[in-house]
Amino acid sequence: MVDFARVQKELQECSRDVERSGIKVSPKSDSSLARLIGTIPGPIGTPYEGGTFQIDIALPDAYPFEPPKMKFTTKVWHPNISSQSGAICLDILKDQWSPALTLKTALLSVQALLSAPQPDDPQDAVVAQQYLKDYQTFVGTARYWTESFAKKSSLGIEEKVQKLVEMGFPEAQARTTLEAVGGDENLALEKLCSG
Amino acid sequence: MEDDYYVSSDDDYYDEDDDRNNMELLEYVENYENLRPEAPTSKVISKESLLAAQRDDLQRVMDVLSLKEYRARTLLIHYRWDVDKVLAVLVERGKDRLYAEAGVTVVEDDNLVSSQFSSEVMCGICMDEIPSDQVTIMDCGHYFCNNCWTEHFIVKINDGQSRRIKCMAHKCNAICDEAIIRNLVSARDPNLAEKFERFLLESYIEDNRKVKWCPSVPHCGNAIRIEEDELLCEVECACGLQFCFKCLSKAHSPCSCRMWELWCQKCQDESETVNYIAVNTKPCPKCNKLVEKNGGCNLVICVCGQPFCWLCGAPTGSDHTWDSIAGHSCGRFKEDEDMKLELAKRDLFRYTHYFNRYQAHTDSFKLESTLKKSIQEKISRLEEKELMFKDLSWATKALYRLFRSRQIISYSYPFAYHMFGDLFENEMTAEERTIKQNLFEDQQQQLEANMEKLSLFTEEPFHEYGHEQIMELRMRILNLSTLTDKLCEKLYDCIENDLLGSLQWTRHSIAPYNSNGVEKASELTVSRDTTTSNSEIDLATNGMDISYTK
Repeated sequence: MVDFARVQKELQECSRDVERSGIKVSPKSDSSLARLIGTIPGPIGTPYEGGTFQIDIALPDAYPFEPPKMKFTTKVWHPNISSQSGAICLDILKDQWSPALTLKTALLSVQALLSAPQPDDPQDAVVAQQYLKDYQTFVGTARYWTESFAKKSSLGIEEKVQKLVEMGFPEAQARTTLEAVGGDENLALEKLCSG
Repeated sequence: MEDDYYVSSDDDYYDEDDDRNNMELLEYVENYENLRPEAPTSKVISKESLLAAQRDDLQRVMDVLSLKEYRARTLLIHYRWDVDKVLAVLVERGKDRLYAEAGVTVVEDDNLVSSQFSSEVMCGICMDEIPSDQVTIMDCGHYFCNNCWTEHFIVKINDGQSRRIKCMAHKCNAICDEAIIRNLVSARDPNLAEKFERFLLESYIEDNRKVKWCPSVPHCGNAIRIEEDELLCEVECACGLQFCFKCLSKAHSPCSCRMWELWCQKCQDESETVNYIAVNTKPCPKCNKLVEKNGGCNLVICVCGQPFCWLCGAPTGSDHTWDSIAGHSCGRFKEDEDMKLELAKRDLFRYTHYFNRYQAHTDSFKLESTLKKSIQEKISRLEEKELMFKDLSWATKALYRLFRSRQIISYSYPFAYHMFGDLFENEMTAEERTIKQNLFEDQQQQLEANMEKLSLFTEEPFHEYGHEQIMELRMRILNLSTLTDKLCEKLYDCIENDLLGSLQWTRHSIAPYNSNGVEKASELTVSRDTTTSNSEIDLATNGMDISYTK
C-alpha cells in the first residue's frame, strides 16, 4: 500500500512554498492519492520559459520505496523527454531513486533537467540529434512547442475564435472548445472536426 | 587408395612382430602411465560447503584490511570475489577509494548510537515522529525508523538486489549492514530473511568468474570452482556430469564452444532433411503423396496413377514426347532448379557424412561402457587364477584410454564439419582448406585406426590366457594405449596451432588436451568448517552477525 500519510504530508509541504518554487502537486481526483498531477514552470533563460508543464504522476504500491512514475502530459521538445509519449529519462526516477526523495524534489529535478538537457543519454533520439547538430533549430522548435502547448494565452483568443468561425463552426462551440483545450487552435480544430 | 594409405600408416605406428625396442618402450610406457595425475585443481561446492568455500577469500580480505565479515563480503561482491583485484585496488588507489567505490563505510567513531537522540526523532521517510528506540542508524550515519528500513529492505530483496542494498538517504552509496537487514526483515518475514541469506551466500557463485553452477538437469545443487586462471577447460562435477566450464554445455573438445553450439543447432534442426524433401520431391496433385523423381523425363506418374509435370507440379495428360507433354506447357526455370538441387544435395551429403560418423562413435561409446563390466569380470577371474598378476591396472587403463579417445574422435567430426565448411569460408582459400583438411584427416584417421585396434584387444578373452600370452597382450595394449594418447595429443595440437591458430578474423579456442581425461572436481574439504558453517548459518538466520561468532 502507498504510504498515504506521507503523501498527504508531502502535498501540504509542497503547497506551503508554492509561491517560491512554483511547483504544484495535486490529486487527479478526490478519491485517491495514488494518481497526482504535478505542475512545473519552465525555467527562466531556457526555451521553456513562460510555459507551464503538467506531469502525470502515478504512485506505485511500494511508494516511497519505489520511485513514482512520471511523464509529461504537456508536449515538450527536449532530448530526454519523448516528444511522443512524454516519458522522462531521469536517473532519480529509476535506479537512483531514494526513499528520502519526495515528489517535490523529483519535480525539481525534472525542472532542472529542462534547463540542463543531457543529449548523450537521450530518450528522444530525433530531438537529441537536432540538439547536437543544429542547436539553433532545436531552440526554435523547443520555443515553438512551448508557445503552442505550454502556454494558456488569453491574448489573441478572439482572433482564434474568429478564425474558427470563418471555417464554418458556430461561435459558441468554437469558444468552448478552444477553452477546453487550453487555447490551442490546432487541437481545437481537431476536436471540432472529430466531434 | 585411401585404404592402402591408412594400412601402411598403421604399420608405421605399430608392428606386432617388431620387438626390438619393446623393452625400452615398455619402460617408457610404464613411467608414462605411472605419472600421477596432479591433484585436481577444481572443487565441487555443495550447498553445505558454500560458506566454507568463501571463508578463505573472506578471511584474506578481513585479515589484510581488518574488517568485519559483512564488510569484507561487500567488498568482494563489488569486486566479483577477486581477492587479488581488491588488493590491487588497495595498493593503487588506497583504502578510502577502495571502500568508497564498493560502498563500504567504516566509522571510526562508534558513538553513533541512537542513545544520542532525544526521546523522539523525525524519520525522513515516513515524516513521522518516532520514539528513538525504534530508529536504526546505519554505518554511514543516516538514521530512519525501523519500519521504513524494513520496507526498503523487503522491496530491494524482492527486486533481486540483496547483494547491494544501499542506504535510503539520497546519494548515499553505503551498503547496509547485513546483520541489521537480517534482524529487521526476519522480524517481519522470516522466509524472506532466509532468502536474503541464501542470495548473499550464492553471490559467491553468481558474481564469481571462477565459480559456476553445474549445468545438470535436474540440478544437482553443486557449483564448481576453478583454481587456475585458465577458464577454458572441462570439468566433471560430483554428480558425474562432464561439462565445458566456458559454455556450460557437455564436454565437447576438440570442438570449440561456438562450433559445438552450431552443431547442436544443426542436429536439432531438421532443416537439412526438410530441405532435401523440398528440393527433391513434389506432392502429387491428386493424392498429395511426396513423389521423388528417379530419372527420366519431366512427366512423372505417381503411384496413384496421376501423371503430372515435374517442372510445375500441375496435373497433365499422359501423352508426351521426350521434352514436351501433350497439352501442357509451363515456364522453365530448369537450370535454376538444377543448381538449387545440386547445392542442397551437396550440403546434405556433407552434413550426413559428418553426422553419421559422429553418431557412430557416440553409439560405440555407449556400447563400450558395458565393456567396463566385462573387463572387470575378466580381471577378477584372472586374479583368482593366478596370483602373479598382481598389477592388472593396464587393462583398465587401456579401457579408459579407449573411452577417452572414442569421445575425442566423435567430437572431431562436428569440428571438421565446421572447420572445413561455411564457418570459415572467408578465412582461407580453397587450396588452403584442402591442405588443412588433409593434414587434419590424416591425424584423425591415424587416431581412429589405432583406437579401433585398442577396441579389438579389449574384447579378447584374456582371462583364459596363459602367462606368456598375457605378458604379450599386456605389451601390445600398453603400446597401443600410449600411442593413442600421443595421437590424441597430436590431434589437439594440430587443431589448436595449425587450424584454429592460423585464423585471421575469428578466435576459436578449445579446452586443452588432458591425458587423464576430464578433470574430476574434488569435494571441497570442509572438515571442521562444515559444522561451524552450518551453525553460523543457523546463528545468522537467528539474527546474529556472522562476524561475531568467530
